[in-house]
Amino acid sequence: MNTNITNLIHNISMKTTKLLFLAALPIALAFTTLTGKYVSRAVHTEFFSSTPAEDIRANNYAGTGTIDPATGSVAFSIPMQSFEFEKALMQKHFNSADFLDTQAFPKAKFKGTISNIKTMDLNTNGSYPAQVEGEMTIKDKTNPVSAKGTITVKDGKLSIESKFPITLAEYGVAFQKGKPSTNVAKTVEVTVNGDFAVE
Amino acid sequence: MTTATLWNTVNMTDRTTSHSNRHRIIRLVLLAVLAIAFIGGGYAYYLFNMPHRDVQRTATDARIDAATLVKEFLDDAAASNSKYLGAEGEGKVLEVTGTIEQVDKDLNERAVVVLRNGDMQAAIRCTFSESTNAEALELLVGTNVAIKGVIRAGASFDPDLELYEDIVLEQCAMVEPQ
Repeated sequence: MNTNITNLIHNISMKTTKLLFLAALPIALAFTTLTGKYVSRAVHTEFFSSTPAEDIRANNYAGTGTIDPATGSVAFSIPMQSFEFEKALMQKHFNSADFLDTQAFPKAKFKGTISNIKTMDLNTNGSYPAQVEGEMTIKDKTNPVSAKGTITVKDGKLSIESKFPITLAEYGVAFQKGKPSTNVAKTVEVTVNGDFAVE
Repeated sequence: MTTATLWNTVNMTDRTTSHSNRHRIIRLVLLAVLAIAFIGGGYAYYLFNMPHRDVQRTATDARIDAATLVKEFLDDAAASNSKYLGAEGEGKVLEVTGTIEQVDKDLNERAVVVLRNGDMQAAIRCTFSESTNAEALELLVGTNVAIKGVIRAGASFDPDLELYEDIVLEQCAMVEPQ
């Protein structure tokens, strides 16, 4: 009799715990999607083109990026009109319809995964080599990109850096003649770095 | 001015020595070619060294409230992009009014003042310049301000980022109260 009552109480408390757990689950999940990702709204991107004729650099400090520590998925969106060149004329050409048509295609996009995210402990200060696989979309053309980078963890914040080449012709930017064909490299080097924190 | 000087040289030569008409025509043609080459070269030099547009010395295209601007982009991104962004990257020069949510520095050490009124889904990120940085870094969160700058990107929801991207305003400066 006594054990029966104890069992009953035990059963009820188990059920309550389960119910509470089930009720809490969606709340926890919602909380994760809102705050789980590392975010930066000031990603720095540099284009560097080098030819015997000249070296050209363009810098952009207004990119937005996210890193999901659970899955390793990363996304970057770069506002194309924020690239600043030393020469005003080059900046105008870069934005014009003949080159990147930034009014029609205002953002460049990278979507991918840090394939070795599981080897990193993002809760402990340290530096980790990262391998990123994904797709880059510029001017509405998408190509696969594979890049190496570094993720540095410091007090719950992530600093990332990566450098990789892109071939302009793959994004519909090709120069057959004139100054751009000799002064703009066929393959340009892209450097990305940023400081990320959970928002 | 230079062309006029060259013309005078021609005339002076004419007065001191006598030449046949043929020589005179040849000289005129050479002079014309020289003048065109000079003007062409000068124009090319100008284009190559053309200064960047001085946003703060450019007339304001529109005065607008932060929330209204964000709503315009979220309602119709394509129409807003063609309305506000420039074909050659020279977007509209705007004076945006709003409440300061945050003052920060970017990786170029430029001050970034974030404007957000109430529950706006996206904010306005205003990046200042080397010459206007100091005034921006003194600003206090919660202050209502008007900031002038060039628009470089609109606001939109990005499904891959899973968040709203902010409007980007650059080459910014504070607008003096009227």
